[in-house]
Amino acid sequence: MINLFKMDLHRFKNNKIMYLLLVIFSAFEIFGIFMMKQYEQPMEQGGTSVSSMNASDFIQLVLSQTPSWVLMYVTVFSVYFYMSEYNSGFYKNYISMNNARMYSVISKILILGMFTLLMLVTMVISDLIGRTIFFNNAAIGDWGYFVKLLVGQFLLHWAFSILVLFISIVSRSMITSLVIGVVLALNVPGMVVGALESLVGNINLSSYLLVNTIVSTKDFNNMNDVIHVASVAIIFMLIFSYIAVRYKVKEDLR
Amino acid sequence: MTGAIIEISQLTKQFKSKEVVHKADLKIVKGEIFGLIGQNGAGKSTLLKMIGGLMYPSSGEIHLFDHAVGENHAYFERMGLLIEDPGLFPHYSAYENLDLMAISYGLKDRSKHINELLKLVGLDGSNKTKVKNYSMGMKQRLGIAIALMGSPDVLILDEPINGLDPQGISEVRKLILELNKTGMTIIISSHILEELSKVATKYAILHHGEIIEINSKEELLLKCEVRIEVEVDKASLAIPILEEHLNINNYKVISDRTLYVYDTHVENHQITKVLVENGVSVQSIMKHKQSLEQYFLKRTRAEGDSHD
Ligand SMILES: Nc1ncnc2c1ncn2[C@@H]1O[C@H](COP(=O)(O)OP(=O)(O)OP(=O)(O)O)[C@@H](O)[C@H]1O
Ligand SMILES: [Mg+2]
Repeated sequence: MINLFKMDLHRFKNNKIMYLLLVIFSAFEIFGIFMMKQYEQPMEQGGTSVSSMNASDFIQLVLSQTPSWVLMYVTVFSVYFYMSEYNSGFYKNYISMNNARMYSVISKILILGMFTLLMLVTMVISDLIGRTIFFNNAAIGDWGYFVKLLVGQFLLHWAFSILVLFISIVSRSMITSLVIGVVLALNVPGMVVGALESLVGNINLSSYLLVNTIVSTKDFNNMNDVIHVASVAIIFMLIFSYIAVRYKVKEDLR
Repeated sequence: MTGAIIEISQLTKQFKSKEVVHKADLKIVKGEIFGLIGQNGAGKSTLLKMIGGLMYPSSGEIHLFDHAVGENHAYFERMGLLIEDPGLFPHYSAYENLDLMAISYGLKDRSKHINELLKLVGLDGSNKTKVKNYSMGMKQRLGIAIALMGSPDVLILDEPINGLDPQGISEVRKLILELNKTGMTIIISSHILEELSKVATKYAILHHGEIIEINSKEELLLKCEVRIEVEVDKASLAIPILEEHLNINNYKVISDRTLYVYDTHVENHQITKVLVENGVSVQSIMKHKQSLEQYFLKRTRAEGDSHD
């Protein structure tokens, strides 16, 4: 297991696409903040203006916008990292190792976790840079809250990357997986289920959908919200990790 | 205990409604070079994929070291596979591809192993060319090198000489024989019996997914023997003449008019000449040579007919 993970890690570190994605993402984040500055409207009632937000508020604002750009990048990377190995057929070389199928999926999941973490770190740094430059405000606010927010969002995004990995494993097609990933990042299923629910009436399952949870603003000081986020993240992670491994173990490979 | 390290029984693989491998049985003993021969689409790759753990049989069993194999295939310390196209990252160089394999095996001294393997298959380790720009033969060589990473107990090579030039073919042949001397069990498939016959110690003929025949090297050579068939008035008169004048002593009397000469140092016309000079008239003389290829074609055609 550890050796397969080291192999994936080697590939992770030596791949230009990953760095490229992070740089592009960072550039767009900073540019986005610049645009916010350009078109900043004085907020009247309710909302806070960007210039007076702390880091937690700002990140929630960024993450709650659909399409979720972070999810798009996560999708691209997940699909790319899995499909490039699958299409090359490199797995044939190690498949006869002990439990190779299971371990190779677990190893991919860990790599996706690392990428997700890097994405969030990049986002936080870019936001701080952007806000410092354009709003002259790098306040973090409540550190405890900030950490809870990041951990929660990290788990949710990681769960999403595992979902995309599962889609790639099953569809075996780069294009299909990308399209599905983007549709999910646009939160189309969340909106559809939400709309159906409002027709039917008194149910609220859609708030437990993964992407809906990611894009809805949560109060991490509220125990219910924390439990909501943690349980959605962990349940999605466990379910899709498990079925991804099972699928891979049973799969007929070319 | 059967002594076989790989044993498959009644192995069947079905894709949708199409049966690609049908109830195949075979045993492979340690140290063998097992040749699998069959036409395009016979099911060679599919059979090897099941043995190598890439695909699961629809029914039947695979035993490795007398263990029935389920989802986990790892009864060998290492099993090297080169099945169909070599699995290579196109944007990496040969060295980098091998390096990934070395990492996955947890090898120490990675660069030493890698350079040895590259040398063994005749590739240049300092070559930074990406694999996507390799020629077919170079990819094939690299595929063999990757399969050999970590000295596997069993090596499965599916048409390893695909795309190789004549020199490459002879190098690979030499390599296979050398590896086999170290005790490595090798399974190798091909369309060309002639080529296989230069290395394999056992042969299975696969036709339309069925194993129609398994031969040892000796049995196969016997079936493809070279002989001169001589028909004379009286065989008993001809024999002493052939023995005396042409030093022929490897022959078989088939009937009182027919004999087969197995000595390869004589030609038809020499036989005719001495017999006629010594007053024995020759009714007919014919060199019978069934090449391995002819034999293979005959066997598969016969099977094909009986199926139609
Ligand atoms: N995944 C698959 N799905 C459906 N049919 C398949 C699949 N893989 C192989 N086949 C079919 O099984 C048959 C045998 O294929 P296989 O690749 O095993 O033949 P082969 O003996 O290796 O041929 P070749 O000499 O051309 O490599 C072919 O008719 C092929 O179309
Ligand atoms: Mg084949």
